[in-house]
Amino acid sequence: MSISRQLGDPPPTPVDIKAELRRAVGTLHDPQPSKMQSMTSDLSIDEELILHSVGWEPIELVCGVSLYSVPMGVWNWGQGEITSASAAYARAFEGAIDRIHRECAKAGGHGVVGVQVDRSIHRHHIDVTLLGTAVRPVGAKQVDAAHVFVSDLSARDFTLLHVSGWQPLGLAVGASFVYAPRRSIGVALQQKSQNVELTNFTEAMYAARESAMERMQSSAITMGGTGVVEVKVTEGPMDFARHAVGFAAWGTAVRLVAENHRPLKPSMVVPLDDPMTGFEATALRGN
Amino acid sequence: MSDDPQGLPEATSHRLEELEHGLFTSDLSVNEFLLIKEVGFHPLGFVMGSSIYHTGIQTRKWGQSQELTKLTEAMYNARELAMTRMEEEAAELGADGVVGVRLDVNYYEWGKDAAEFIAVGTAVKAESGVSHRNKLGKPFTSDLSGQDFWTLMQTGYIPQGLVMGTCVYHIAHRGLGQTLGSAGQNIELPNFTQALYEARELAMTRMQDEADRLGASGIVGVRLEEKSHQWGSHTIEFLSLGTAVVKTSNDVTLPTPTTIISLDN
Repeated sequence: MSISRQLGDPPPTPVDIKAELRRAVGTLHDPQPSKMQSMTSDLSIDEELILHSVGWEPIELVCGVSLYSVPMGVWNWGQGEITSASAAYARAFEGAIDRIHRECAKAGGHGVVGVQVDRSIHRHHIDVTLLGTAVRPVGAKQVDAAHVFVSDLSARDFTLLHVSGWQPLGLAVGASFVYAPRRSIGVALQQKSQNVELTNFTEAMYAARESAMERMQSSAITMGGTGVVEVKVTEGPMDFARHAVGFAAWGTAVRLVAENHRPLKPSMVVPLDDPMTGFEATALRGN
Repeated sequence: MSDDPQGLPEATSHRLEELEHGLFTSDLSVNEFLLIKEVGFHPLGFVMGSSIYHTGIQTRKWGQSQELTKLTEAMYNARELAMTRMEEEAAELGADGVVGVRLDVNYYEWGKDAAEFIAVGTAVKAESGVSHRNKLGKPFTSDLSGQDFWTLMQTGYIPQGLVMGTCVYHIAHRGLGQTLGSAGQNIELPNFTQALYEARELAMTRMQDEADRLGASGIVGVRLEEKSHQWGSHTIEFLSLGTAVVKTSNDVTLPTPTTIISLDN
C-alpha cells in the first residue's frame, strides 16, 4: 500500500546542490540559530538547576568548527619546530572559537559552558570542533560577539567560580609540533650499554612542551586573564609521522571580577552509598 | 641545558617570566583550585620537569632472582632529574610547594631503549607570606590532589616532599623439574614469593629512607606500582610513591563530617 502511494506522489523537486552548499557555507559566517523558542542544552538536570540557582539559564546548543589545511610534506623531514603545523593549529582554533562566539551571540548568550573540545590532526589538515551550551543571566539582553566567553568548564564548575567571584574569559590554547632529534649510529652504539640522559632529546622535547604552554599563557594574557584553570597537556607522536611529536595545551582563562576571592567554606560529608567494589579474580594475579 | 642538570631550557625562562607577572596556570580542576585558595594558598603556575634517559643493559641469569642494580639506578636517576627540574621551576617562581604532582614514563617509537620521564604539578604559595618550604629549604612536593591537600592541612599536617623508592628485580624462571614437580598440586611457590616480597620491601625501605631524610613523621597516600616497562615478563619495576608529611600543629580544624545518602545513581 505504501509503495503504491509513493508511486502516486508527484516527483520530488530536484535539489539545487550548489545553492544548498552556498547556503551552508554562508551559515558558517552568519550562523542562524534555530527559530525555536524552547531551549536546547546538553547539560544535566543538576547542572541546569545549579545554573538557575545563581541566576543564569541555558539557551541553546552552539558549535564552532574549523578545518585548516597543513602544507604538503611538512611532517616528513627536518629539524626543530614544524612552524607551519603549529600555525595551522592556532588558526584552526581561532576559526572555531570565532564561530562559536558568533553563534552564541546570535542566540543571545553571554557565554558558552561545558565546551567539548574535539581536535584531530591529520596529514593534510587539522580540524577543531567546539560544542557547548550557550548561557546568560536570566532575561539578559544580547551582547556583542566580542564579549562572549567560551569555556570548557562544566556548568557546575562555572557556578562554583561565579560564587567565589571569578569569571571565565575564554579558551586559552597553545601547541607546538617538533621533529624528534636523531642520534648518529656512532653515538647510539657508544651509549648502548650505558645509563645516560639523552640531553639533546630532552632539550628538544622540553622546549617544545614549554613553548606550547607559553603560547597558551600568552593567549590567556591577551584575553586579560589572571589565571588559567584545568590546563590539559597532551602530547605524543603523530599517527602518520612517528618522527613528528605534537604538544598541545589548553585550559580556561579566568579573572577575578569580585573585589576579593570569596571563600566557599566547604563542609565534610561522608556518603553512605554502597561501595562500588566487586570481586575481580584478575586482581589476584598481581597484574 | 647541556650537561648541566641544573640548567633549564630557554623557553622555560620566558614562560616563567610571564607567570611572575601575575598570571597563574594550573592543571587543577576548579574544585581543587578553590580548595587550595580555601587553605590560604594561591596557585602560581603549572611546572614540569622532564628527562629523556637511555637505560643501559644488564645481563640477567635465567634461573636466578636478583635485583638489577643498573636498571634500578637508571629509573632512580631519571625520575630524580625530572623532579629536580620541576622543583627548580617552582623555586624560580618563589613557590612554597608543588601539589598534584604526577610522574609519568613515556616511550617513543624512535627510541626504544630510551624513555622520557616527566614530572608535572602545580606550584603554590601561601598568601600569608609565611614560608612552607621543607627542611632542606626547597619547595615541598606532593602527589596529593587538591581535596586531599585541603583535608591534610585541616588536621595540622603539612607535606614535606614526594618520596619514592624503586627496585628493578629479575625473578627467576622455574626449571622444568620444579614445574613438573608442582603440577597438579596445591603448593606455594617459594622462589616467586620470596622474590616479589624482597623487591617490594626494597622499594618501600628506600622510600622510607627518603622520608627520614626529610624529617617526616609519616607518609600518606602510598601507592605501590608494578611495571614491566619493556623488559619482558620476568623483570619488574616496583615503585612505591607517597607524600611525606610532618605535624606542625595540634589543633584539628576539620569540621565534623555530615553523613549523607545521595539520591543519584
